[in-house]
Amino acid sequence: MSGTRRAGWVAAIPMGLLALATVYPLVFTTNVALKTRREYVLDRFSPAGSWNWDNLVRAWTGVGMSRYFLNSVVVVTCSVALLLLIGSMAGFALARLKFRGSSVLFLGVLAALFVPFQVVMVPLARIMTGAGLVDTWPGLVLAYVAQFLPFTIFLLTSFYSTVPADVVDAARIDGNTVYGVYWRIMLPIGAPALLSVGVLDALFCWNDVLISLSLMPSAEHRTLMVGVTSLRGQYSDDIPAFAAGVLIAAVPVLVVYLFLQRQIADGVTAGSTKG
Amino acid sequence: MSTRDRTAIPPRRRRPRGSRAERFAPLVLLAPAVLIIVGPRLWPLVLGINFSFTGDGDRDGTAVGFDNYLTLLGDPLFLTALRNVGLLVLLLPVAVAIPGLLATFLHLKVPGHRVYRGVYFFPAVLSPVIVGAIFTLLLAFDGPLNTVLGGLGIGPVDWLGDPDVAIFAIVGVHVWATFGMALVVFLAGFATLDPSLLDAAEVDGATLPQTIRHVIVPGLTRTIQFVFVTTLIGMLTSMFGLVYVMTSGGPEGSTYLPEYYVWIQQGQMNQPALASAASTALFLIMLVVGLAQIAVLRRTGGED
Repeated sequence: MSGTRRAGWVAAIPMGLLALATVYPLVFTTNVALKTRREYVLDRFSPAGSWNWDNLVRAWTGVGMSRYFLNSVVVVTCSVALLLLIGSMAGFALARLKFRGSSVLFLGVLAALFVPFQVVMVPLARIMTGAGLVDTWPGLVLAYVAQFLPFTIFLLTSFYSTVPADVVDAARIDGNTVYGVYWRIMLPIGAPALLSVGVLDALFCWNDVLISLSLMPSAEHRTLMVGVTSLRGQYSDDIPAFAAGVLIAAVPVLVVYLFLQRQIADGVTAGSTKG
Repeated sequence: MSTRDRTAIPPRRRRPRGSRAERFAPLVLLAPAVLIIVGPRLWPLVLGINFSFTGDGDRDGTAVGFDNYLTLLGDPLFLTALRNVGLLVLLLPVAVAIPGLLATFLHLKVPGHRVYRGVYFFPAVLSPVIVGAIFTLLLAFDGPLNTVLGGLGIGPVDWLGDPDVAIFAIVGVHVWATFGMALVVFLAGFATLDPSLLDAAEVDGATLPQTIRHVIVPGLTRTIQFVFVTTLIGMLTSMFGLVYVMTSGGPEGSTYLPEYYVWIQQGQMNQPALASAASTALFLIMLVVGLAQIAVLRRTGGED
């Protein structure tokens, strides 16, 4: 047995422990969410005696989690749809149409990748206030699209660059206009890339707290993650209900992860391998 | 369209027809993207830098030169935020080495590697808010971690209440939550590594540290650099949720980070011009990171 193989077997043990440490916090939270308050106070670790759905129901109805959930679903859906539409149009044009200034525009997209929201937060809030967009859904969607568009364009441009030129030429010969090529050829061919980028964009928007916190001050417009931050104050002495609220916010992401793990990983690595 | 249609009507020209609508196609396709990137992103950047040289409150709108920046340098909270950035930079090699080492083992197919890969990556998709909320439970003074440590005769440690410990607790949680991202990037890098090199190292009886040093690190230079930069950017721009949920900057302001400082000054203290100055400082830090990245890429490019 060579050195590396043996090291692999030795490493399997700490790696298994690390895997447990990775999963355990969520298992713990789930278990707490199913306990009664009394059970939690008596023993934090013991498995919940009878599965007690009451906490989940209370968190869902009691402190507005259902409303925040719906808010998030609406905003994320609109943002991702716009991101994919605008991003694929731009990506197709940058990758496949020859025109003056295309490389400058692509550099602009790359530069925008390095401008985090924190840096433009103050002036953007002022612009949004001036335009009457603060505390409105279009305002938040616009902020999300602006935030994640450079990343979306970057990945889709890379993808469309890999589509063979023959495919485009053949479509042109068949009498398609440029728009026809985009709509009838590129969008269907690019479906896997759109799925990958779309899932990542959805996660980014769903998980955001800072943008939503700065642009949506009123309580009824809270997105789910901002709702989670307010749980602690509301349930400071009722940990199981707090855990239930956290769990409600985590479950959609976990479901997406279970089904689309490969697409998420593809999206994350696409940027790195292009160098 | 079937092939028969194509032969029936001979193609007039292979080149795109230069109809008016077609000539403007790039413009039409790119206009929304350009408007959105310039409008709410690049333009505010310029405005913000400009705004950082004006005053707050009574001096709203008047030019004050570098006053805001001087105020920042005199503010202990901002200095703590900068000190914490320095700490993040110091901890960066650890945050890169952990996923790098794990990816090495996964690539060497340790028993159970498929399961580990899926498990390690999953916290990376959770919001910092959710991660932070879960860890406020786990790290509470009377919480589970201290109970376990107590059983081993250690502690209790006031993870989030001790000014000397809290920032390390938060960075630790951030690394727990994000190492899966870097891990996946490393694995993609390993896929491009020539397998015969690893086989040769094994045949030669190289130990694991030797293999890492002489085969893996030289072969993955670009990936390692990419992970360094993205990890640092992640630390500078995506820890707000953790700080906000876990400590609110405390105890004694010890867990302030630049992004949290910006938010406090803007949202809570109503000092937008000062907040702009702090954002500009953060932008400069990011710029240095970006330029360092380009410089390193150039240098290694020359060696190739």
